[in-house]
Amino acid sequence: MSNPSKVTKAEEFEPRIVAFLCKWCSSAGSDLAGVSRIQYSANATPITIPCSGSVSPMFILSAFNKGADGVLISGCHPGDCHYMEGNYLARRKLYLVKELLQFIGLESERFRMSWVSAAEGAKFAEVVDEFVEDLRVLGPQNRLKAKR
Amino acid sequence: MVNVEEIRDYAANLLGKGEVKSVLGFRRGSASAFAEPCTITDVGEAASLVWDPTCLNNLTLYLVKDHKQQAAAKTPDNRPVGIVAKGCDSRAIGVLLQENYFKREDVVVIGVSCEGTGVVDPRKLSAKLKGRTASRVSFYGADGINVRVYGEETETVIPAQEVLADRCLECRAAIPTLNDIVFGEAVGAREFDEPFHAAKAAESLSADERWATWEHHFDRCLRCFACRAVCPMCYCPECVVDSTTFVVTLGTSAEEKANRIRWCERSANTSESAVYHLTRAIHLAGRCIDCGECERVCPVNIPLRLLNTKLEKEAFEMFEYQAGHDIEQASLLSSFRDEDPNSFIR
Repeated sequence: MSNPSKVTKAEEFEPRIVAFLCKWCSSAGSDLAGVSRIQYSANATPITIPCSGSVSPMFILSAFNKGADGVLISGCHPGDCHYMEGNYLARRKLYLVKELLQFIGLESERFRMSWVSAAEGAKFAEVVDEFVEDLRVLGPQNRLKAKR
Repeated sequence: MVNVEEIRDYAANLLGKGEVKSVLGFRRGSASAFAEPCTITDVGEAASLVWDPTCLNNLTLYLVKDHKQQAAAKTPDNRPVGIVAKGCDSRAIGVLLQENYFKREDVVVIGVSCEGTGVVDPRKLSAKLKGRTASRVSFYGADGINVRVYGEETETVIPAQEVLADRCLECRAAIPTLNDIVFGEAVGAREFDEPFHAAKAAESLSADERWATWEHHFDRCLRCFACRAVCPMCYCPECVVDSTTFVVTLGTSAEEKANRIRWCERSANTSESAVYHLTRAIHLAGRCIDCGECERVCPVNIPLRLLNTKLEKEAFEMFEYQAGHDIEQASLLSSFRDEDPNSFIR
């Protein structure tokens, strides 16, 4: 990730989100939001991945470790996976990751998952906006962030 | 009551007929009352095998080590290995078989039933004895442990619930389900503590309290990797914290070194240790069979078992999955059901 913009105390806290987007749907959905000129928060850094099922828990932990305030994972709706069942496997795996992060005391709002298809540009914008607002309330994520 | 003579005879018989190349078991330790793991290759040595509540180790680890050794050997000995296995150990073998790590015919499981008790937690025992050292620890029955202290004539009976390891109190299956033979009576469910008791207690705290606890634990982690070394499921040839494939040669530029992906630094600070332990916990989701070895060997007493049992609890309650129960079953993370929880996704 790029260097954090310097936040002075007077400035408002801007949450930084790492968004892992499925190549086949959510990534195209974010593109659609862009070409449709939908206004939404610019806080998410999108990373295109082949499938939500290919998300390793390492990606999420690493994002938090390197200073993300929130992690969003977005994939195809159940039944629409390009690889037949990737999103079902993702759902099970990420449910466990979410439970584990909550268990050690990370706020549950910081890790989010959504199903966004290539036709849902408006929904993508909505998901990001909502996430940013929730993170703004929570403040910076310092629990898993590396102190360097 | 398990008759140790029967185990010895069985092991001697296996070795005598040459059906196994070795038998993994426990013998009397030289340092204390606690038993130590041993590999027996000779019929005569079988007489040194023991079985009592001090047989803590999960011997499955040595099956994995043997497998690695044989794979590297020029003239591998392909005969099976005999192993003395408790309920939890047999489940560990089950998970390895499920993952095709080795074949069923490569191992002869000499099952021993814990018969309603389990193994003693050395820390609990030494606290109970207030600094004195036990010279002998044995089963008293289903609800007691006999302890003889050095320099004392009589034996004391301590209620099992007070000295048994936490995992034994919560154990749901004390009988080796995967076995070639079982010694001892089959006593299944125990009623010391409800299953997942500790994980449920930890869950009931607030998020801030939980983080305060875990921050304290992760901060103390020395990164000695004893938890990884002792775990029979941590057999990956390469681990995220090692990154052995990144070879630094004379030609490696500073930029290449700087740009290589480091998922997790080896330095022992809170956030890196958190990443290491969480990755390990997730890696063991649906594979951890709750033998409690990671927690036992931890030099700074991090309750590592709690992280694993939390995920086992979710696997059990949400996905009706129990690690090592059915070796034909697809693993937890490589299968799914339509009715898996969906409500947390927007």
